[in-house]
Amino acid sequence: MKFDDKIPIYYQIKQHLYHEILAGTLKPGDKLPAVRQLAIDLTVNVNTIQRALSEMITEKTIVSQRGKGNFVTDDTARLAELKEQLVMEQLALVYEQLHALNLSDAEILASLKRYIERKGAAQHD
Amino acid sequence: MTDILKIENLTYKRNQRLLLQDVNLTLTAGKIVGLLGENGAGKTTLMRLITGSAQGHGTIMVSGTQTPTERKSHLSFSEQLRGFNRNTKVAQVVAFYHTVYPDFDPQRFHELAGFLQIDVNLRLGALSKGMREKLIIALTLARQVDLYLLDEPFSGIDSMSRKKIISSIIQWMPEEATLLISDHYVTEIAPILDEIVVVKDQTIAVHRAADEIRSESGMDIEDYYESLYEGGVNRD
Repeated sequence: MKFDDKIPIYYQIKQHLYHEILAGTLKPGDKLPAVRQLAIDLTVNVNTIQRALSEMITEKTIVSQRGKGNFVTDDTARLAELKEQLVMEQLALVYEQLHALNLSDAEILASLKRYIERKGAAQHD
Repeated sequence: MTDILKIENLTYKRNQRLLLQDVNLTLTAGKIVGLLGENGAGKTTLMRLITGSAQGHGTIMVSGTQTPTERKSHLSFSEQLRGFNRNTKVAQVVAFYHTVYPDFDPQRFHELAGFLQIDVNLRLGALSKGMREKLIIALTLARQVDLYLLDEPFSGIDSMSRKKIISSIIQWMPEEATLLISDHYVTEIAPILDEIVVVKDQTIAVHRAADEIRSESGMDIEDYYESLYEGGVNRD
């Protein structure tokens, strides 16, 4: 995995795992690879993985079972909350950038709608 | 947390020239630490002082031991194989390590050699630069110690070999051990570092957690490191 070295690596690992969970690569209740395996897969060090996982355990996205390993939560309310959080973060980026171009809220909404319609039309071709 | 390395008030002179002064550094267990600094800043010298190959004034403790002989038994340094003849076969070097170091684990070496694709039947003189460096890494990591010192393992080798070496470090480094790795290209190893130590102006100018640098300065490790030389960063 390629990291942006300006952003804390543990934070990027969390984002990566969130993405896997919401995209369905990791399903609710799935066991996560062992810490060292994750470190090898992502080419980061074990402590950084540990830090990302322990934050995800604290926020209850991941459940740690003593002696068994770490599992994606099967709490649907928590997963919905996570999805909402990530969607809002992405939208915040878009909103900020469009705002910087002096678009009003109404114009942003209209542009977004137009974009989706065109994209939809392109896909139906 | 256990201190793997503790250096106190270390000063080192060679030929009347002051190379390092007032060096204080403590590394705890289970860390990968990048030792950064310009060429000639004293990175190799610091490693040689830690191994006991060079003698300075001050205290150096490795896993609580102080004499060079005791320290040597707790650390593994990436020796450059200079003592071996070019006609020596890799397998003979491995046998030598096995004889000399009681903590050398042939099984670990075998796994590392497999991963790094080292042919033990080759003679040292027939190894490419990258392959020679891989062999040095495999020999160094095959010992079971508390402190690993890798002196510029990436200089002059291709990026595929570098990636392979980085993976082998993550995979084979014992959990409670600490690894100090020197380099002057920080970007490639930045994601695997817990902390960085910068040697500058004959002393340790910086010792900080890598993710702390990222979150507090918003800079990547390379930019942060370079900013130390422009005097643009407040380092305390």
